[in-house]
Amino acid sequence: MRRITFLLLLFCFAAMTSFGGGYQVGLHSTRNTGMGLIGTSLSYDASTIFYNPGGTSFLNEKWSFSGGLSLIMARVTFQAKDVNYQAHLEHLLNTPFYFYAAYKATDKLSLGLAVNTPYGNRLSWGDTWQGRYLIQNLSFNAITVQPTISYKFNKIIGIGFGLVWSYGTVNLNKALPLDYSGGEGQLNIKGSTIGFGFNAGVMVHPIEALSIGIDFRSKINMDVRSASATFTVPAAVRSEFPDSKVEVSLPLPANLDFGASYNINKKFMIGINLCYVFWKQYDSLVFNFRTKTSALDRTATPALYQNRLIPRIGLQYKINQIVTVRVGGYYDPSPVQSDYLNPQTPSSNEIGLTAGLSVFPVKGFSIDAAFLYLMGTKRDGTYSPENFAGTYYSAFYIPAIGLTYSF
Amino acid sequence: MKKILFIILSLALFTSCERKISEYAADKGSANFTTYISVGNSLVAGYADGALYHDGQIYSCPNLIAGQLQLAGGGAFVQPMVNSNVGVAIYPGVSPRLVLGYAADCQGNVGLSPVPAQGAMDPLAPVGYAVNNFGIPGAKSFHLIIPGYDTMNPYYARFARGLGGPVVSEFINLHPTFFTLQLGDNDVLAYALAGGSRDSITNPALFYFAMKTVLGSLLATGASGVMANIPDITNIPFFTTVPYDGLVIARQSLADSINMAMGFYGLPFHYVAGANPFLINDPSSPHPYFKVRQMQPGELILLTVPQDSMKCMGMGIINRATQLPYPIPNQYVLTLAEIAQIKAATTVFNTIIDTLATNHHVGLVDINSTLKQLSSESGIVWDGVHLDATFVTGGAFSLDGIHLTPRGNAVSANAFISAINQRFGSKIPYVDITKYKGVVFP
Repeated sequence: MRRITFLLLLFCFAAMTSFGGGYQVGLHSTRNTGMGLIGTSLSYDASTIFYNPGGTSFLNEKWSFSGGLSLIMARVTFQAKDVNYQAHLEHLLNTPFYFYAAYKATDKLSLGLAVNTPYGNRLSWGDTWQGRYLIQNLSFNAITVQPTISYKFNKIIGIGFGLVWSYGTVNLNKALPLDYSGGEGQLNIKGSTIGFGFNAGVMVHPIEALSIGIDFRSKINMDVRSASATFTVPAAVRSEFPDSKVEVSLPLPANLDFGASYNINKKFMIGINLCYVFWKQYDSLVFNFRTKTSALDRTATPALYQNRLIPRIGLQYKINQIVTVRVGGYYDPSPVQSDYLNPQTPSSNEIGLTAGLSVFPVKGFSIDAAFLYLMGTKRDGTYSPENFAGTYYSAFYIPAIGLTYSF
Repeated sequence: MKKILFIILSLALFTSCERKISEYAADKGSANFTTYISVGNSLVAGYADGALYHDGQIYSCPNLIAGQLQLAGGGAFVQPMVNSNVGVAIYPGVSPRLVLGYAADCQGNVGLSPVPAQGAMDPLAPVGYAVNNFGIPGAKSFHLIIPGYDTMNPYYARFARGLGGPVVSEFINLHPTFFTLQLGDNDVLAYALAGGSRDSITNPALFYFAMKTVLGSLLATGASGVMANIPDITNIPFFTTVPYDGLVIARQSLADSINMAMGFYGLPFHYVAGANPFLINDPSSPHPYFKVRQMQPGELILLTVPQDSMKCMGMGIINRATQLPYPIPNQYVLTLAEIAQIKAATTVFNTIIDTLATNHHVGLVDINSTLKQLSSESGIVWDGVHLDATFVTGGAFSLDGIHLTPRGNAVSANAFISAINQRFGSKIPYVDITKYKGVVFP
């Protein structure tokens, strides 16, 4: 019963914000969040279905469940270049969530299901701010469902594969510099779509204390074929801006992860992770208006993201049977070039520091908590296609809670 | 569970502080902005949409500059305010401000068009207070140095203090510490606005003397400042909106009958279906009677051309009533020869301005290159706003096609601020152009 209420709660809060590079959310297990978001080489709970399906077959119990959510509090300050103007990102509370269930069908074969939110971006700068012709507010969510199969050849090596089905919604508002006596023009784009991808991984235990994982999550093309574009414009130019269907294409980039973890002794575990994100797949955000006029056509907003490698490190210490604590950290270099820094995804090189703990009131059940603090570096940038320049300075405060249960 | 949630939430609240970036630190550098005066013509006055009216003055380029200078020690900036948003009755029958509205043309087609604003104008009366903005619509360079100019230009008479003396004699009484000078545009623009048929381009020697005197009288007050050069006015929408080949003939049969008529008159012009050049006057034509020719690429038609006559009376081709060739009158056309004169004069004037600025250590505001950028294919992009020199949709020029919109003035103000910062090592922040409107649509 408790589990069901918890699940319902999760779906109610299906909204998130990006932090760190671009619009990828890294919060898929409260335990892993506690130790620097590592996870590719770990198979200690059902979150392995997402982090590395090769590890799922290494789960010991018949049933494993894991669920939780994070609260992302983003604080971003913008100072315009050479203009006496500052803006703050509105304080939206964003809540990415995850739920995993794994079933050990045979000793070697496991089945799993992951439901989580690996990508998303939700932010609001307000309706009247200086950058309103680029973006006022944006909400982009992608919920993915991943049925997974995992096979363990022996004690040393296991593989896994999951099909990823993704449901995405987008809702974007921006102002248009078209003045009328009552105000100025406005554009809303709203739509949803589904996309497909896969998640494949290999887990290797060359010796009992060492675990090595490699995982690849494919690119998912989110092509919203029929979003609706609604214009609020002066009556005189209405015929140039008819409400129209619009195609929006946004790729969710592929990830290649490598992780290794080592149990120093019964209490201490150290892990590292290298995550390579194929951000170059995000070349531009394309809007293709179906009803074309001299003012409306196919427009590509250049993004020109760069591929990035994120190194992570984490430590876990089992104090006793009841309490386990974790710490970690990582460096997340921004995929955005300085002349393409857009207030839609203000992104800077960030250092993440994490801490977490798990409490096991009974064997097999834990309450997990974690806190992630992201220190953004102050960053000067211009979105050159629109000549929008300034300094962004960000910080993210992300508490997370979760439950893990296996039996 | 509840306890943990509580701990997490309180931790979150505790740490949820904003990132601090230091605010823009304005600095006056080596300049003193305490008392700022602006001197020049209609571009300085805040004239827009074919009139001097209240909101146009509020968004005048110098008023926007003054607002920024106030961040670095600048004082109050007083303008000779018009209270009406329709205009001021400078002379009987003066046109009110233009607004974008709907009007029917001679064919009964209702379309978006600049139309006169409704409402009462301010009566012409002296404002009765000293002003900082010496923007005088219509003023040429030498007008500022002739005594009794207040009797010739009612815009100046509204705020003139030293009656009878030249404009330049007023500056000393204001004890200015800083000035911007934007003058000389009318020395070539007035000729162009008359289609080269009336008025004349100021003699360069007079221009030099006048500009030197104006600048000298400003510097004599002890103030420092910047001065703007003159843009190539042939790029403004007043001259570029009506195309030289805007005569569209719907069918070849119609073109054929025009060709036949022209042949009958002994005029060697050939018309085709589609776009054709308009007919204009040409005194050097060899034809014994019809001194006309077709327009050439690069020649310009003024925005004030009577478009109804073109649409319904055959102006620019054949008069529908008389069936005779019907050239566009000279005052609505700039020929290549006239354009060459305008461009040559602009170059000479800008050389003079450049020399004066250098010799007197006055900062130079290169408005010429700002306008060049504005009238280029890509225009000027700032904070997601795309501005160019297209009439109405370009967003920079007001409905008279000559003067700027508030947003255009913001771009102009930033060119001044850039020059001020460069000359005086000051750090005056730019105007946030997204705060100002372009052309207002109905």
